[in-house]
Amino acid sequence: MTPLLDPLAWLILLPLLWATLAFLAADRHGPMLALAGIGGQLLCVIALAGDVASHGSIGHLAGGWAEPLGIRLVADGLSLVMLLLTQGVALTLALYARSYFSQATPPAFWPLTGFLLAGMNALFLSGDLFNLYVTLELVGLAAVGLVAAGGGAAQIAAALRYLLATLVGSGAYLFGVALIYGSYGTVSASLLGSLITSEAPLAVWLAGGLMLTGLLLKTALLPFHFWLPPAHGGAPAPVSALLSALVVKASFYLFLRLWLGPFAALSEALPALAQVPAALGATAILWGSWRAIRADRLKMLVAYSTVAQLGYLFLIFPLLGTGALALQAGILQATAHGLAKAAMFVAAGTLIKVGGSDRVLGVAGAAAHLPVSLFAFALAGVTLMGLPPSGGFLAKWLLIDAALAAGQPWIVVVALSGGLLAGIYVFRVLRLAFRRPTTHDDVPLPQRPAALLEWTAFALAAGSVLIGLGAAPLLALIAGVQP
Amino acid sequence: MKALWRSLTVVALLGLAAALLVAVLGLPPAPVKLAGEVATNLGASGVSHPVTAVLLNFRGYDTFLEVAVLIIALLGMLAAGLPPPPPTGSRNAMLPTLARLAVPLMVLAAVYLLWAGAFRPGGAFQAAAVLAAAAVLLHLAEILAPWPRDRRGPRLAIAGGFLLFLAIAAALLANGGLLRYPPEHAGLLIVLIESGLTVSLAVNLAAFFLLRADKT
Repeated sequence: MTPLLDPLAWLILLPLLWATLAFLAADRHGPMLALAGIGGQLLCVIALAGDVASHGSIGHLAGGWAEPLGIRLVADGLSLVMLLLTQGVALTLALYARSYFSQATPPAFWPLTGFLLAGMNALFLSGDLFNLYVTLELVGLAAVGLVAAGGGAAQIAAALRYLLATLVGSGAYLFGVALIYGSYGTVSASLLGSLITSEAPLAVWLAGGLMLTGLLLKTALLPFHFWLPPAHGGAPAPVSALLSALVVKASFYLFLRLWLGPFAALSEALPALAQVPAALGATAILWGSWRAIRADRLKMLVAYSTVAQLGYLFLIFPLLGTGALALQAGILQATAHGLAKAAMFVAAGTLIKVGGSDRVLGVAGAAAHLPVSLFAFALAGVTLMGLPPSGGFLAKWLLIDAALAAGQPWIVVVALSGGLLAGIYVFRVLRLAFRRPTTHDDVPLPQRPAALLEWTAFALAAGSVLIGLGAAPLLALIAGVQP
Repeated sequence: MKALWRSLTVVALLGLAAALLVAVLGLPPAPVKLAGEVATNLGASGVSHPVTAVLLNFRGYDTFLEVAVLIIALLGMLAAGLPPPPPTGSRNAMLPTLARLAVPLMVLAAVYLLWAGAFRPGGAFQAAAVLAAAAVLLHLAEILAPWPRDRRGPRLAIAGGFLLFLAIAAALLANGGLLRYPPEHAGLLIVLIESGLTVSLAVNLAAFFLLRADKT
C-alpha cells in the first residue's frame, strides 16, 4: 500500500477531517459526514488488522523523528481490538443517533462526536506519555461537550461535575509525566520500559501513583464513580451509549498499558499493589449492582450497571502474572460490555422516547409494543449477567480460570456474585415489561418508533452475544501482545 | 464528620506535597539528554529557534492535536448554549479612541511575533493571542459587533487554518510519515502552517468572547 494511504495515520486524520467539516457546515449534513467518515475509519481498522496480523506490531514515527526526539505511534493486538470496538460501536450509534435526533440534533453533536473518535483513536495508537496526555484532553473535553449538548440545567451541572473530575484526572496524569520527564529526560513509553527499574527514585513511584490514580478518576472506578451516573444517565441516549461503551474504556486501556509497559518494573517489585485496583473493582461490582437494583430511573439503572461492570476490568490486575489469560479476560470483558452497554442505553433511549417516562416503572407493557428494543435490552442483559454463549460469559470464564490458576479464589466469588446481582436488575426491568401498563386501557398505544432505532440496538446486543462464539481471532490477537 | 474528612484530606495532601518536594529535590541527573538531541537536529528542522523546532517539527503532531483541543473547547461552548449579547450603550467615550489607537499596533505586533517565531521566542499561538485580544478590545469598544452563532466567516477562518495543517500532515504521508517534512522545505511549510494557525487560533480565541446567542 502506498504510504499516502497509511491506515494508521488515517484513523486519526479522517475523524478530524469530517469533524471539522461538520463544524464548518454548522450542523447540516452531520449524519452524512459522520457515516461516511466512520465507514472509512472502519475500513482503515480492517486494513490495519491485516498488517498487525502479519507483522505483530506496526510502528509509525510522526514527523519521521526517532525517539526520544519524536513521537512513535504503535498499533498492536491490544490497540487493534479497542480500535475495532470503537469504530464498530460508533458506526452503529451514528445510525441510531441520526434517527433518534431526526427532529432536532443538539448543537455541535456531530463535530464533537468526530473529535471524540479522533481522540480515542489517537489514544489507542500513541506510544508517548505526553502525546497521550493530549489525546486524554481531546477525549475528555469532547465528552464533556457531548454531555452538555442541548441540555437543561441538570445536564449542564452533570457536565460541569464531569469536567472537574476529568480535569483533575488529566492534571494528575500530567503532573506524573512531568516527574517522569524530570527523572529520565524522555516521555517515550518504549524507552521508559527499559529505563524504569525497581530501584527507581521516589519521584517515579509518585509519578506512577499520580498517573494511575488520575486514570482511575477518569475511568470512574469506585470511589471515583461519583461523576458517572449523573453524566451518563442524564445525557441523550446516543451520548450515554458512546460514553459508557467507549470513553471510560479509553482511560482503562491507558491504565493497563502503563501497568504492563513503563511501570511493569514497579508493579513487579511490589506485587501487593495489584490488589488495590482489584479490591476497588470488587467493591465497585457490589456497590454499583446494588445501586442499579435500587435505581428509580431507567437510565440511572443502566449507568450504575456501568459502575459495576467497570469493576470487572480491574479484577485482572493480580492475575496478570498467569500469562495471556487475564489480559484476554479483561479485554474481552471491555469489548463485550462495550457492545452490551451501548445496546442497553440505546434500547432504554427508545423505551423512554416512545413510552414517555424515564422511570423504571415506565417500561410496564413495553413487551407488547416494543418487542425488538426489549429483546435487545434482554440480550444485552444476558452478556452482563455472563450467561453462555455471550461474550460476558466467555470473559468471566477466562477470569475465573485465571483466578484459580493464580490461587485467588475470592475473585471467583466476586465474579459469580456480580453476575447474580446483574440478573436481579435486568430481570427487574424485564418482569415489568411483561406486565400490563398501569394506565387505563383506553389510552392509545404509543406510536411505533423508526425501525432503525430498534434494530441498531438489536445489532449491538446480538454482537455482544455472538462475540462469545467467535472470540478466537480476538483472543489470538491479544495473546500475541508483547508488553 | 465533615470536618474530620476535611482535615484528613488536608493532612493527606500535605503529605503528598512533602513527598513531592523530597522527590523533586532528590532527582538524579536524567539519563537521556533531550536538549542535546534537539540542538544536534536543529539544522534539519527548518527553523533556528529550538522551541519552535520542537513544537512544529519534532513534536508537531502534539501541536496538531492541541489545535483540535481549542476547537473542541469552542464546540463545548456551542453545545452548552451561548450567553446572550451584552447590553449596548453604556460605553466609555475613551474606549473607542484607545481601541482605534491600539489595534493597528497590536496587529503589527502579531505579525512580528509570527515572523519572529522562526528564530526567537514567538510563533502562531502568541501572535493569535494578541490578535484575539485586539478583537476583544474592539468588541468592548462596540466597534466590533458580537458574532451570531451561525455566522459563516468565523467558522471558515477557524476550520481553514486547521484544515490547512491537516492537509499538509496528510500530504507528507507520501514522504513516509505524518508531518514528516523534507528538510529542504521544512522552513517554508512551517511558515505556511503557522500563518494559517495564527488566523485560525485568533478567531477561535476571540470567538470565546464574541460568539453570542442570536437576539430573539
